[in-house]
Amino acid sequence: MPLDLDNSSTASGEASISSSGNQNPPPKSIAKKKRNLPGMPDPDAEVIALSPKTLMATNRFVCEICQKGFQRDQNLQLHRRGHNLPWKLRQRSNKEVKKRVYVCPESTCVHHHPSRALGDLTGIKKHFCRKHGEKKWKCDKCAKKYAVQSDWKAHSKVCGSREYKCDCGALFARRDSFITHRAFCDVLTEATVKVQGQPENQNQPEVNPKSESHPKAQAADSYSAPPPPPPPSAAATAVVPAPVSAPPALTQSASVLSSSILPGSGKLIYESKKLPETSTQFVEETKATPAAAATATAGLNGSCSCSSSSSSSGSTSSCVFASLFASSTASRSLQPSHTAVFTEVITTTTRADRTVDLASSSATDPISLCLSTNNGSSLFGTGGQERRQYAQPSQPSISATALLQKAAQMGATASNASLLRGLGLGIVPSSSSPSQQDNMHWCHGQLESETASFLPGLGLGLPSGGGSGLKELMMGPPPGFVPKQTTLDFLGLGMAAGGTPLSALIPSIGNGLDMATSPYGGGEISGNDIGSSS
Amino acid sequence: MMQFTETLPQPLHQITSFPNLFTMNKNQIQRTTTTRPWPAGFPTSKSLGNFGDTNCMEQLLVHCANAIESNDATLAQQILWVLNNIAPPDGDSNQRLTCAFLRALIARAVKSGTCKMLAAMGAAINAQYYSCNHLAVDNHKFSVIELASYVDLTPWHRFGFAAANAAVLEAVEGYSVIHIVDLSLTHCMQIPTLIDAISTRLESPPLSPRLKLTVAGTIEDIPPMLDLSYEELGSKLVNFARSRNISLDFTVIPSSHADGFNSLIEQIRMQHLVYPETSGEALVINCQMMLHHIPEDQTISSNNPYSFVESASDLRSLFLKSLRSLDPTIVILVDEDADLTSNNLVCRLKSAFNYLWIPYDTVDTFLPRGSKQRQWYEADICWKIENVIAHEGLQRVERLEPKSRWVQRMRNANFRGVNFGEEAVSEVKTMLDEHAAGWGLKKEEDDLVLTWKGHNAVFASAWLPA
Repeated sequence: MPLDLDNSSTASGEASISSSGNQNPPPKSIAKKKRNLPGMPDPDAEVIALSPKTLMATNRFVCEICQKGFQRDQNLQLHRRGHNLPWKLRQRSNKEVKKRVYVCPESTCVHHHPSRALGDLTGIKKHFCRKHGEKKWKCDKCAKKYAVQSDWKAHSKVCGSREYKCDCGALFARRDSFITHRAFCDVLTEATVKVQGQPENQNQPEVNPKSESHPKAQAADSYSAPPPPPPPSAAATAVVPAPVSAPPALTQSASVLSSSILPGSGKLIYESKKLPETSTQFVEETKATPAAAATATAGLNGSCSCSSSSSSSGSTSSCVFASLFASSTASRSLQPSHTAVFTEVITTTTRADRTVDLASSSATDPISLCLSTNNGSSLFGTGGQERRQYAQPSQPSISATALLQKAAQMGATASNASLLRGLGLGIVPSSSSPSQQDNMHWCHGQLESETASFLPGLGLGLPSGGGSGLKELMMGPPPGFVPKQTTLDFLGLGMAAGGTPLSALIPSIGNGLDMATSPYGGGEISGNDIGSSS
Repeated sequence: MMQFTETLPQPLHQITSFPNLFTMNKNQIQRTTTTRPWPAGFPTSKSLGNFGDTNCMEQLLVHCANAIESNDATLAQQILWVLNNIAPPDGDSNQRLTCAFLRALIARAVKSGTCKMLAAMGAAINAQYYSCNHLAVDNHKFSVIELASYVDLTPWHRFGFAAANAAVLEAVEGYSVIHIVDLSLTHCMQIPTLIDAISTRLESPPLSPRLKLTVAGTIEDIPPMLDLSYEELGSKLVNFARSRNISLDFTVIPSSHADGFNSLIEQIRMQHLVYPETSGEALVINCQMMLHHIPEDQTISSNNPYSFVESASDLRSLFLKSLRSLDPTIVILVDEDADLTSNNLVCRLKSAFNYLWIPYDTVDTFLPRGSKQRQWYEADICWKIENVIAHEGLQRVERLEPKSRWVQRMRNANFRGVNFGEEAVSEVKTMLDEHAAGWGLKKEEDDLVLTWKGHNAVFASAWLPA
């Protein structure tokens, strides 16, 4: 995508302004050369504040005969001469005309202040229009918009001439960018299919100012008679068996390559285009009967054993859930540490089955959320291709599970009144960890059965927003709207959302207890409630 | 932004009260500094903007790391708190940088369980915690089009692409079959331009050249992540090559950096052994910011397949030696120029802090605040930071080495460096002209170095068998 160049284009008009931040008047010799240095007006110039309407007005001076409008009175006067009307041109140099500077009417603008006034009327008009006006001049060829007509005209002259346009509509200022985009854009794939193997660059809509590629590419065409570009259907599968269309001299090595690849070495070769269809089929299947799809996937992955064990747990959603993990576990067996993690998650899920009944009814439930999101397509997207399995489809669900446990944990610790516990770091009796975990699952269940939106607010200093809130909690805040304590609260250092000053470190620890409830009005769920539930 | 102006005084206030906080733990600090020394005069980057603040942040991070490493949860908490107040995630570039480190330290504290206090919290759910921290940074899965424009935003990757393309073109002139082994972090994003360059500039063979492209299908998810399988990616590339009148074979060989891309190397070696005619091909090894994932620590790589080799060297050097044994036509090595290999957390933290400010500092020049792409971009840096700080062993894959050490490794593996030609230099310069003014190009001996405000960011080097 081309970057929005609006800033640069407007900036170019005002580059001199931004560079004139200091208000010390420059030496006179320089000041003479430059035209009306903006932002450093003559101290005894007359400051003029025009209304927005005046600034935006075009052709304020209208001829009463023909209604023709002019931007300047002088021009109208000249025009009036043609109608034989009385006219009057202002005389030049009736000794030292009082210098005028113009301020911007927009009170938030830096040029609102007389010390940063602009030196000429056209300047202030353009400034106001560019910065505070509507961009109503739109380029036909690209998406750029301009507020000032002359900017638009200037752009229109060059638009397209130095840009590359893909059939999908994307524009590129640079050839490299265009080439890279072009290679991966679906337009190319479709075009190639349509043309049935014709070299694509013959009807390629590439705009190339240097026009270097066309002549050569066509020259190459004539050369390339011996190895005709294979038709797409053939080419799609060509790589796997033996490249039939390859030049004879190369056939051997090529086929050799292919055959050396094929036998069970786990090597993947680009195959055919049937895959997308298969994948959509899979997605549909998933939507219709999750359980069936789950077993199907598991079957594909060759990890039926895992899925069967989990499918006996009864709940449909957890069955899918678990078998997803099962499959990724299987494919991850290269990495023991990962496997351990995933196994852990599987057991967690299975144990959490008790709560699933409660949870699955609510739409914001993290588990069902994870299953119903577009993970479906990415997970099943490539059918049986093994590489795909490496993608971790389990991400959102892990974080959700972990979050719930974390939330429960924090609630539990928050009920203790010691200093550190106030910080959310209370010690959980480690001796009871197995049962502890069980408790947490119960907590987790209860939390789910309550309104889901309360979760993020649970002492985590986050705006509560259901599922998205969960996500933000795990990922850290998107810039802009999250209270800045978030990271800290991520650890559970209980700070009230108001932002307790550090000097109040010790005293505020008492307040730390409030964190669970006060900022977001968790309402009925207090730290104590949760604590007692564990 | 009212909120910002209101909260601004707070950090100042907190900083002033900070010494008190530390005197409380004076003994602790002294103990840790003596037991865990770090280079005293570690150079801090001058262009880190607000010098005092950045220094302060770095010092706080160092103290925090020390506290975590020495199990002092109380002190760690306090510093984390301070840091959190002076480094909002939506602050300026240094604040965001610090915030990312802060998160990484928290992740480490929780994960490692070295802090007793945190261990209590972490023990029961340690496994989940690991994964949730791993996911704490939301790394976007790019569509291929998104990734193309993402890579296009900054010279960070394009620099290596441009330099490599020019050098490769020069090296493969006259060959009718070109075998490119692409070990690139960015999922073949360089290949279209290379294909295009080959199709438009190579004229000598009467037949258009035949390309073979072999990529490592890594199983680890390392950002930037692609939401497309390599098979589909390959089909697009094959299509594109055909449109340029080049026939392309695309092969994925599942292999991992963890074992030094063993299966990939072996596969290529097999082809060369069994089919001698492949030795007539140009073999191009294009390594773009991927080799630093190979373990360089001998303790980690002790159970590697090469362990039978009298192991005077680590897996990384062994990989380079096995590359050399393939007798490649040219090897391109592009990587980030920093040292993140230390086993000492504090050293690593300082080193990373004094390098990774660059991507944060540059972002303002090409992405507006609040844009989606910017979130993706920063999340990927966060991932890096977390990987450097919070992970150990095989999981810590961001093991950057400075250019000088790579050069030494390459020479030890019996490669000799070659100059980038005029062509390459002018290509890179043209490319840099399209980006912000802070980027620069430096020639160091044979290599090219991309700089940001004068600081080394990425180096590119080209190597031939000696």
